[in-house]
Amino acid sequence: MSSSHGHHAYHLVDMSPWPLTGSVSAMMLTTGLVKWFHQFNMDLLLLSFLATILTMIQWWRDVTREGTYQGLHTQVVMKGLRWGMILFIVSEVLFFFSFFWAFFHSSLSPTIEIGMCWPPVGIQPFNPFQIPLLNTTILLSSGATVTWAHHAITSSNHSEAIQSLALTIFLGLYFSALQAFEYAEASFTIADSVYGSTFFVATGFHGLHVIIGTSFLAVCFYRLYKCHFSSDHHFGFEAAAWYWHFVDVVWLFLYIFIYWWGG
Amino acid sequence: MAALIIRSLSQTTRRGVQVTSVRFANKMMADPLEHATGLEKQELMAKAAGNDNPFDMRVYKRISGDQTNPTVVPSFYEKRLVGCICEEDATCINWMWLEKGDKKRCECGYWFQLADAKPMV
Repeated sequence: MSSSHGHHAYHLVDMSPWPLTGSVSAMMLTTGLVKWFHQFNMDLLLLSFLATILTMIQWWRDVTREGTYQGLHTQVVMKGLRWGMILFIVSEVLFFFSFFWAFFHSSLSPTIEIGMCWPPVGIQPFNPFQIPLLNTTILLSSGATVTWAHHAITSSNHSEAIQSLALTIFLGLYFSALQAFEYAEASFTIADSVYGSTFFVATGFHGLHVIIGTSFLAVCFYRLYKCHFSSDHHFGFEAAAWYWHFVDVVWLFLYIFIYWWGG
Repeated sequence: MAALIIRSLSQTTRRGVQVTSVRFANKMMADPLEHATGLEKQELMAKAAGNDNPFDMRVYKRISGDQTNPTVVPSFYEKRLVGCICEEDATCINWMWLEKGDKKRCECGYWFQLADAKPMV
């Protein structure tokens, strides 16, 4: 029995600076964005990116050390991690719920200011059967490949897990690239009526979540490559897969309601 | 050197995709018990040895619990905080400190005694 941790299964965490540096970086990130938008100066934003990335790397490294190298993640600790991730994803669902609320509020009974029609007068939306449909197939395929990776891990097949997870990350990057091209080509901006506002806030936050999910999967790829996972213990990967499926489902709603029905 | 590269390339390309080494290079992951360490490994080993409650996480069923036959509670320390659910449908737990040596009676009448806990494995 490990004497420093008592006769119990719980993981009493050590003092860590990362919650503090993470909070400061997140505050700097939002402030840096505002500074960039208003003064066209990216200094604070780039500094906050650096602080955020340094926090992420070191926090993830610490959790990996505790879980993989110190064996502190017992069954009951993993149960806690599972509930933590579930509650986090529920909070993310509510976050996106508010953007859909704004969209339906504006689109179901369009006001006289926007011509009493949806899309508003003068707005030329994207054709939902071009890039957005391709993006739908890309994200659905990535959902399949991440499940393939999970099956490979549970059957201890390292090579196949590496291949399928690499494919998933590639599909995530491909999606982000296509969305970037789509944004560059858009005929309307975030300032073009409530259509532009709801469209870019909802799809923009979704794009941000795709980037976060891709980073999470990339961390799992590194850990898989370093043999941190076993067929029974790979919660980091499972959390990333849950998150990825969540991002996938949000896209389906965005595609059906904002791109297709609303366009 | 160039000849060597051409020869190895032509040998590889002549083989069908089903017989190339890439297809059969499935590297397997470590056994979960071998992969684990520390407390996680001790828990897995205890479970493998038949101990399905290695951290003493379950609620103890009170036995008859009179003075001659108290409910025995294991502890690694000199005293342990014990909670008694005095009645089946009680809405609160009655907590008390149980110390090694003396038997102790809960206000509901049941008796308890602290015993030395055995190491997990």
